[in-house]
Amino acid sequence: MKRTHNKYDLVVVGGGHAGIEAALIAHKRGIKTLLVSMDKKSVGRTSCNPAVGGLAKGQMVKEVDVLGGIMGFFADLSTLQSKTLNKSKGRSVWSPRSQIDKNLYEKIAQKYIKEQGLKVLEGEAVSLKVKKDCVRGVFLKDGSEITCSAVVLTCGTFLNGLIHIGSKQINAGRYGEKRAEGITESLNSLGLKNGRLKTGTPPRIKKSSVDWKKGEAGYGDKNPSPLSYRTKNFSPKDEPCYSFRTNSNTHNIILDNLSSSAMYSGKDMATGPRYCPSIEDKVYKFNQNPSHVLQLEPEWSMSEQIYVNGFSTSLEEKIQLESLKTVSGLENVEFIRPGYAIEYDFFYPSQLKNTLESKAVSGLFMAGQINGTSGYEEASSQGIIAGINASCFILNENPLVLKRNDAYVGVLIDDLILKDTNEPYRMFTSRAEYRLQLRSSNADQRLLTKSREYGLLDEQTVEKLSEKIENTINMVRFLEDNNINPKTINKRLEELGEKPIKEPARMSNILKRPKVSISDMKIKNNETKSVLTNYMKEEILFEAETIIKYSGYINRQKEEIDKIKVYENMIIPEKFDYNDIKSLSNESREKFINIKPQTVGQAQRINGIRPSDISILLVYLKRPFHVKQIK
Amino acid sequence: MAIVACSTPPGVSGIAVVRISGEDAIKNVSTFVKDSPLNKTRPVSKVCFLVDKDGEVFDEAIVTSYISPNSYTGENLVEISCHGNPKIISKIIDLSVDAGSRLAEAGEFTKNAFLNGKLDLSEAEAVASVIHSLSLAGVKAGIKNLRGGLSKEIYSIKSSLISVVANLEFNLDISEEDLQPNLLNNSEKTILDTIKKLDACILSFKETKMFQSGASVVILGPPNAGKSTLFNCLVSKDQSIVTDVEGTTRDVIEKSININGLPILLKDTAGIRESGDDVEKIGVERSFIEAKDADLTIILNDRNLSFEGVKHIHVFNKSDIKSPDEKYDISISAKTGKNVKELKEVVYNSLISDKTNTDTLLTSKRQYNAIKSALKHIKDAYSLLIAEDSMELLVEDINRSIGFLDSITKKTTKDDVLDAVFSSFCVGK
Ligand SMILES: Cc1cc2nc3c(=O)[nH]c(=O)nc-3n(C[C@H](O)[C@H](O)[C@H](O)COP(=O)(O)OP(=O)(O)OC[C@H]3O[C@@H](n4cnc5c(N)ncnc54)[C@H](O)[C@@H]3O)c2cc1C
Ligand SMILES: Nc1nc2c(ncn2[C@@H]2O[C@H](COP(=O)(O)OP(=O)(O)O)[C@@H](O)[C@H]2O)c(=O)[nH]1
Ligand SMILES: [Mg+2]
Repeated sequence: MKRTHNKYDLVVVGGGHAGIEAALIAHKRGIKTLLVSMDKKSVGRTSCNPAVGGLAKGQMVKEVDVLGGIMGFFADLSTLQSKTLNKSKGRSVWSPRSQIDKNLYEKIAQKYIKEQGLKVLEGEAVSLKVKKDCVRGVFLKDGSEITCSAVVLTCGTFLNGLIHIGSKQINAGRYGEKRAEGITESLNSLGLKNGRLKTGTPPRIKKSSVDWKKGEAGYGDKNPSPLSYRTKNFSPKDEPCYSFRTNSNTHNIILDNLSSSAMYSGKDMATGPRYCPSIEDKVYKFNQNPSHVLQLEPEWSMSEQIYVNGFSTSLEEKIQLESLKTVSGLENVEFIRPGYAIEYDFFYPSQLKNTLESKAVSGLFMAGQINGTSGYEEASSQGIIAGINASCFILNENPLVLKRNDAYVGVLIDDLILKDTNEPYRMFTSRAEYRLQLRSSNADQRLLTKSREYGLLDEQTVEKLSEKIENTINMVRFLEDNNINPKTINKRLEELGEKPIKEPARMSNILKRPKVSISDMKIKNNETKSVLTNYMKEEILFEAETIIKYSGYINRQKEEIDKIKVYENMIIPEKFDYNDIKSLSNESREKFINIKPQTVGQAQRINGIRPSDISILLVYLKRPFHVKQIK
Repeated sequence: MAIVACSTPPGVSGIAVVRISGEDAIKNVSTFVKDSPLNKTRPVSKVCFLVDKDGEVFDEAIVTSYISPNSYTGENLVEISCHGNPKIISKIIDLSVDAGSRLAEAGEFTKNAFLNGKLDLSEAEAVASVIHSLSLAGVKAGIKNLRGGLSKEIYSIKSSLISVVANLEFNLDISEEDLQPNLLNNSEKTILDTIKKLDACILSFKETKMFQSGASVVILGPPNAGKSTLFNCLVSKDQSIVTDVEGTTRDVIEKSININGLPILLKDTAGIRESGDDVEKIGVERSFIEAKDADLTIILNDRNLSFEGVKHIHVFNKSDIKSPDEKYDISISAKTGKNVKELKEVVYNSLISDKTNTDTLLTSKRQYNAIKSALKHIKDAYSLLIAEDSMELLVEDINRSIGFLDSITKKTTKDDVLDAVFSSFCVGK
């Protein structure tokens, strides 16, 4: 007998990091939402390492937070150690990262979902119901059907997942979890193309089997700041991680057994990431490195289970163990679970619009690893956008699209839809040409307006952030409008080895000198309009200082952005026929036809497209007869 | 719509070539070729009779067709090599226009070649410079770029900059893994190297420009030093007025000459001295202006005169009646012609340094400006590196520099950088 479900507006398939964000934000926006996931107990699970944030990823978590997302908040509540990475480098690449308690994270996520009143159904989606290229519902494995007008698919590594441990292969979506079957074929029948990718995870070892004295302890920051603007009173535990090093004996064992590994990229199978490579790849490709670092991280508070960061592998279990034992301190190491690689289906993200809605099927949204990315933060970033836009779709509102100069989230989606993915996509700060503007410290400034427009944050947080932003702007103005006297600053300048000033000078000009900091300005509380006594005082001062120090570069970038804006706004009609343009090279024409760029700006960013292709395109777009032809 | 034009210089010549390019070129030409062998699938080259509307043969020509995309313009293209009689040429063009083509605008064939991806921008500019070049050497530079010489050089500069960026990006994007030693040292070396290469490009531009549009050489010196006499001697015609009265030459007199194939615009000036005469004052001022813009100044009998940033030769004149009391670069007599030939060599050599890197001849002002901006940013990057300022700003400046080089050749993408990172470093997490 067919079970019947209630009708929903939106069904989110998958309770991973993408799915949670999508479902929660839609629910918050008043959409009747159902989260379907294979196992209720695994909702919010962190599949791989026990950490949230990190280089470029920390920036994304903060962006997601301003957009009403929840990852940073959950991470703050389960932090074991918090640290801002890259402190020795420029401030735009400073990135917060939290070592987290994975068990706690999961628990908090599930509790929060319940508290919010979001409906969760345990079940496996096997196909979509689509009529006239529009989503109408989802079929579950038990034969039941859920009627809805929009779906967000966030199936992670589960679609036809295949685990490799040496030559052993297991059908699974994650270690110990069933894989999902049916969705791939269902999407294929709708004309969507998939490929196959792989990724790996290191072994988990027993805490009691490690000689900890031989490792080097690493702690978090003294006064860490939270990932979420909603977190109050952040004072996490500071549990240490320990670093150990591989040596030539480790490497020799691995090299001798390369042939048994599925993660060694020399093999002809689904492609894995070139970054975060398996230990097999590291040893083989970078044989000039005499040793690699292994970080031993606790998976939860005081946990007996330890994550061996840096040792992703799919060698035979025996070989994994043998080679790890050559590491000083791990001589007696015991496994809880070996490292493994997983191979899974993903769908080419160039089949999506910049809203994350499918170009072919209206109402179908996709987010997370299913789009060829890897990483919790990448998943969560897409989840929040897919959730917002699915709700806009249902409410008939304009979708939210972030530009490359708005956010890493914007860079991520723009890259996904325009680049050919042949390895899992991970964010790097170097992917963002406007990196200087996309700081973790100014996510609020960049995104609050959008967030308000779509009602993504609670009133209280919005108010606090608006105040912070306004005070930052006032502070910058103060520094630009006021002079500092030689008497006040010269002593400090001499200490810093900087040239002293003869006449009073604009504070902002002095602050632009690399070594000078805002505290050297000795601004008194009563000089500025109430700024310094306020909420987030340190953050405001830091941000104002940054704005002034980077202003030269950022103004130049803004000019550039203005220049290319024309192209961003130049829309290519959906039915534009590239076959009409005889003068395009076949290669470029094919790319245009496959990707169907929505604007000339997008067309420009497609890999391998030449300036001359764009010139031709512009000529054709301007031809009036062509426009008529489309109508 | 096909376009048509005569692509050999106007006037009576032995053979002229008329080109018709466009989707319909084949059909178009077939209307006035007797028993046309042309077809849309295969290129043809054949001697044919050209016929007018009444079917009357008016010339015998070689008709060559190229099929898209394998042609200069990337479109279907027909070249008619006819007899160089202007009447025949205009008849062919008329017939083609009647059959549906239109007259090509200046440079349109090349523009189409560019639009169709047959030439990159620097190659297209090279074509323009071949067409407009004044000297043989200028043509050579243009042709070299046409074969991608400039692009190649820029590519190599670019790829070394990309490897520097990759180094730095690796450092910025990876925090834990062991950093490569000497990362910054290597960057410093490459950056300095790039500065040198770009400087050489700029120098070569100035020299190419001279070959193409001529160098400006100004004769300076006190009144009666013999400037006008030397001018006349060099142009070998009496152009300037030679008198014993000081300050006779009040206007600047110019004449084109040619030394070893290098076109030179030679200028005679009023001479430099304090003067009460208003008219002469203006003349003196003009001399200064000319001197500052010159590629080279020949300074007669004034060992102490020179202009900052302008090359000069100190010449002692009237060696037939006296000898110099100070050291000059060369002694001549403009009147007797003694040593004037040697002076010409000195002039040529000072204009064309032997360090000229002929591989990177820049041929357009746009390229020159791009290289200049690239150079500026790489120099900024260098100062940041020395000051140990933020690495991301350093990357920003190098990327800008690469961006300007991109405007000469092809675009560098973020993936080029990431590829470089992944291929050289172990990016663990
Ligand atoms: C072995 C392994 C190694 C990894 N290594 C790394 C790494 O080194 N670095 C890194 O950054 N990231 C790594 N990750 C990736 C990281 O875990 C994911 O990128 C991220 O969790 C993806 O989030 P997601 O929401 O897209 O999917 P997931 O977190 O995978 O969640 C998918 C969810 O969907 C559910 N689901 C799937 N299909 C269905 C269906 N048909 N019906 C109902 N429910 C369904 C599943 O039960 C699950 O709850 C690794 C993942 C794995 C498994
Ligand atoms: N003996 C001699 N007389 C010269 C020479 N060059 C120029 N003169 C004479 O110097 C006078 C001034 O020459 P002119 O060319 O008008 O000088 P200018 O004022 O520098 O242009 C004329 O009488 C020339 O004939 C030279 O090489 N030898
Ligand atoms: Mg004179």
